[in-house]
Amino acid sequence: MSVNRLLRVGSVAVASLGVLALSACGSDPEPSGSSNPSSSDSSAAADCPQGTLNAEGSSAQKNAIDEVISKYNEKCADVTVNYNPTGSGAGIKQFNASQVDFAGSDSALKPEEMTAATKRCANNAAVDLPMVIGPVAIAYNVEGLDKLVLDGPTAAKIFQGTIKTWNDPAIAKLNSGATLPSAPISVFFRSDESGTTENFSKYLAASGAGAWTGEPAKKWTGTGAGKEKSAGVAEGVKSTKNSITYVEWSYAVDNKLGIAQIDNGSGTPIELTAESAGKALAAAKPAGTGSDLALKLDYATKEAGAYPIILVTYEIACTKGLPAEKTALVKSFLTYFSSKDGQASLTDLNYAPLPEEIRTKVDAAIQSIS
Amino acid sequence: MTTLAANKPAYDGQALDLTGKSGARAFKNTLATVLITLAFVLAMIPLIWILWTVVSKGYHLLFDAGWWSESQRGITVRREGGGAYHAIMGTLIMGLITAVIAVPIAILGAIYLVEYGKGTRLARAVSFMIDILTGVPSIVAALFIYAVWITIFGFNRVGFAVSLSLVLLMLPVVLRSTEEMLKLVPDELREASYALGVPKWKTILKVVVPTAFGGIITGVMLGLARVMGETAPLLILVGYSKNINLNPFDGFMGALPTMINQDRTELALQPAADRVWAAALTLILLVLALNLLARFVARFSAVKSK
Repeated sequence: MSVNRLLRVGSVAVASLGVLALSACGSDPEPSGSSNPSSSDSSAAADCPQGTLNAEGSSAQKNAIDEVISKYNEKCADVTVNYNPTGSGAGIKQFNASQVDFAGSDSALKPEEMTAATKRCANNAAVDLPMVIGPVAIAYNVEGLDKLVLDGPTAAKIFQGTIKTWNDPAIAKLNSGATLPSAPISVFFRSDESGTTENFSKYLAASGAGAWTGEPAKKWTGTGAGKEKSAGVAEGVKSTKNSITYVEWSYAVDNKLGIAQIDNGSGTPIELTAESAGKALAAAKPAGTGSDLALKLDYATKEAGAYPIILVTYEIACTKGLPAEKTALVKSFLTYFSSKDGQASLTDLNYAPLPEEIRTKVDAAIQSIS
Repeated sequence: MTTLAANKPAYDGQALDLTGKSGARAFKNTLATVLITLAFVLAMIPLIWILWTVVSKGYHLLFDAGWWSESQRGITVRREGGGAYHAIMGTLIMGLITAVIAVPIAILGAIYLVEYGKGTRLARAVSFMIDILTGVPSIVAALFIYAVWITIFGFNRVGFAVSLSLVLLMLPVVLRSTEEMLKLVPDELREASYALGVPKWKTILKVVVPTAFGGIITGVMLGLARVMGETAPLLILVGYSKNINLNPFDGFMGALPTMINQDRTELALQPAADRVWAAALTLILLVLALNLLARFVARFSAVKSK
């Protein structure tokens, strides 16, 4: 019996020693680009508070905010920023329930959400800060077709299901010279509720000249086969010949899919670039009241060189009313996010940086947070 | 009589050969053997397949020095490096708290059911409730704790809340297995103890529980292994953090299932895909280690009957 007890105690001791050993040597990895962190401290983000900042929301900006957090930590090593990409709706709910310090959302706060958010901010207004521009690509997979041009009505008809084959006259007219297969078009759509679907169907409704019959919503109303999340539709198009979908730009690039150029009515087809997407945002009109920066995007814009299908992710924060240390953290991080450095790091990830005019407004709004 | 006589010739003519199987029986025997073996092979295919896929795709990151000692702080999906330390610690911490709460309740409950409450109305009610609890899906347990912890009490989402919901899942598993183990203890042992004038509580403490100890520990470890892979409570009750957070009462916390879930959407990118497989393999290894530990403890703590 005593031998047994000895063994029992021994095995428990070994197990807990293992845990202790593991817990003793844990650390954060060395920042990759921090050979001389002091050299890049010129921007306004030099004042670094200490603490942990928790945020939640849109999955469309996940890669952008991850990158910005990583860059921000090179300057401010004592701040821990967590971002949970659970979706815009969840982010706003958690923000209004005081579970997170700021939220990310693909659409600005609706009036009833604003009421709840005001309550959460101790009866101070919450603010929508446009921060990340994620262009939505019309991605396709057709063998031998390097360049595809679509316009609003044609895209609407394809995704509505009224154009059924690739060699339809409407597509052929826009792509003279290209050899289009006679194969049927397989459309993939997001089966989960998504801000991408909402923004894309807004575009189809605005510029489809009546060919799109559904109401813009987070749930898809067009034709096709459903796949879960951006990764699902991208994978679907990658593995299916003669297919097409709408997906965030980065997924189209990462999966090496063809990306359609959009003819917005200005005459020349517009390639999807950071610049052309930024141009479309510059054409947007302010929709918020007071210092709120919610934007009304013009999906039917005919401006030359403006890629019209974009998705704007807002950071939603309190203007006042958070505890002082949280306010300092939110302010410091969002200041870096909206800084030139912060925005510049997004281009490599296939997001578009904020146009300077809007960026300065966002920065001013962040500075007025207190 | 004529019918009997007509039946008889079947046994005449040649002697009954009892040395081997007749053709039909041999055929049935082979058929059954083949079918059963086939069923076994079929059941093994997914297991081997999963293990092979996870091991072959995940093993190389596990040999990185950083995998076991670094977090994912500052590592984006496009970047290699970092480790699963934050997630491993999160899983272990939440699992440990779960065990600390669930195991005493489960063992004491089982002792009540077997030793004290046998046949009483309360014991039957408890037993019935445990049966119901066994069937509660993890998402329901998570939402229940969400309602209590966050909606009613107004606390934040923290690792401890996850542990509370895991308790609901672990409790019935451990209680049932402990109950079975205690039932296996022969009544003669208890009677012998009583005959020597040992009080009931001491009999339970010194005779019954030590006899069943190996089985109880196995049950605890299996219960722990079951809850460590649960994802629903983690998604609902705590935010995922790439940073090291060892405090279960404050802030977001990483865990292996949510680490897998986090990078799952980025499988087109190699660094993210590698991490997903490696995290999956780490979780399997962690559960395997617990099971081995359970076997080990059970073997060496068994009461020798001489």
